Amino acid sequence: MTSVEPAILAENLAKRYGRIQAVADVSLRVEVGEVVGVVGTNGAGKTTTIELIAGMRVPDRGRVVVLGLDPRRDRARLRQVLGVQLQHAHLHHALRVTELLDLYRSFYPDPRPTDELLDLVELTDQRRSIFEKLSGGQQQRLSIAIALAGRPRVAILDELTTGLDPKARRRMWGTIERIKSSGVTILLVSHAMEEVERLCDRVAVLDAGRVIALDTPAGLVDRAGATTLDDAIVTLTGKNLEDAA
Amino acid sequence: MSTLVEARRPGMRSLLTLIRCEAKMVVRDTAGLVVPLCLPLLIMLTSASGASQTVVANGRTALDLYVLPLVFTMVIAIIGIINMPSFLAYYRRSGILRRLGVTPASPAMVLVAQATVSVLQATIGITTAVLVAFLAFGANPPVDIGAALGVLALATAALYSTGMIVAAVAPTPNSAVAIGLVAFFVLGALGGMFGGRDALPEGLAEIGGWLPFGAAVEALSSAWAGTAVEAPQLLGLATTIVVGALVASILFRWE
Repeated sequence: MTSVEPAILAENLAKRYGRIQAVADVSLRVEVGEVVGVVGTNGAGKTTTIELIAGMRVPDRGRVVVLGLDPRRDRARLRQVLGVQLQHAHLHHALRVTELLDLYRSFYPDPRPTDELLDLVELTDQRRSIFEKLSGGQQQRLSIAIALAGRPRVAILDELTTGLDPKARRRMWGTIERIKSSGVTILLVSHAMEEVERLCDRVAVLDAGRVIALDTPAGLVDRAGATTLDDAIVTLTGKNLEDAA
Repeated sequence: MSTLVEARRPGMRSLLTLIRCEAKMVVRDTAGLVVPLCLPLLIMLTSASGASQTVVANGRTALDLYVLPLVFTMVIAIIGIINMPSFLAYYRRSGILRRLGVTPASPAMVLVAQATVSVLQATIGITTAVLVAFLAFGANPPVDIGAALGVLALATAALYSTGMIVAAVAPTPNSAVAIGLVAFFVLGALGGMFGGRDALPEGLAEIGGWLPFGAAVEALSSAWAGTAVEAPQLLGLATTIVVGALVASILFRWE
């Protein structure tokens, strides 16, 4: 798995918003082709961490390198190889599915064909639908398709299946497995342990803005002396997963 | 690994796609599409008949010199001060600009696309008003067409700059509409939208002539009559553009 240059390298990241230390000290190395989960309770610093890695925010301290690029200095180059799906789907509400896909595809030099994207996220039947008429799950899947429109080498997916029903959630996992098999490196923020167990090669556990454990799902369970990943995270963080929203 | 990635900004094809999408957004927003086109037209229809009979100067009638400049300014002001800021505020609030910010596209492309579409919408509104005025009421062309087009461009820039101030200070889409409406009616009232600036107290009439709505109406009227556009109006419009650009560049937030 180890390569000379990692897909993502974050070293000693810190970020404060006013009095709140959102990220205190996060270091993370993600190898090319890996799927790494980021888990933790509410306020653990998950979203800020991925925003720092995606170059959406400037860290107060530390450094980030993605595919050898500095997210701020090499912003234009990184945007071509990085696909980001944000926590909530933020898209033009009155545009149709294919109009949105074609818009986002137009930003990249060699985008995936629209039909391939529709097929990937199983939205072919909804291609003419207006975005605001889609169900929550369909909007989420469209958001993923848009994140993958430019054939990214690294995809950052935040709260992938939040709000989806169990059937839609499983379908989404199948989609991510197909993306993974095409060699895309994925950083996946999630609070669904079943999802993390199924999709992630390794899991970074965040608590109070720090990485307190980074291991395979099975490794975390062993380390915590637990029987399930849920229990392992509770043991490691000392917090109930009910708070992990 | 990084050396394989070339920095390539989205080009004209992306911008045209974005402009098409913005146009579809405007067309699918029925109120935003119809009000700026129909309200000024309605005002013209109610006053054009009488105004077209009254010659004021250089063979130009009250329709040419008072009604048409007011109608044109209203079209541009509704789109520039109310519609455009509410779109931008909605895009910011809903996170669309943030979403675009993680792609190779610059959120500034949205601004260009939105401005292009709203100028296009204003052009359709003005063209419709001109056609109706010429075909149904025998309106006359401006004595100095070049000056009229120049003033129209200046007025458009000034009213859009006013809209950018609204977009920059409004925290939510609702507040953008509210601030835009208040700004539109205040500037309109001081600029002669409700019966001419002559009816206002002297001080307010003077101020209204400097502000973008009144300055636009006054300058268009002068250009139509073939008289020199006065310095206070030009200065008022130019100052609005500069102030709008400054305020927007300092206060406008993409997120």
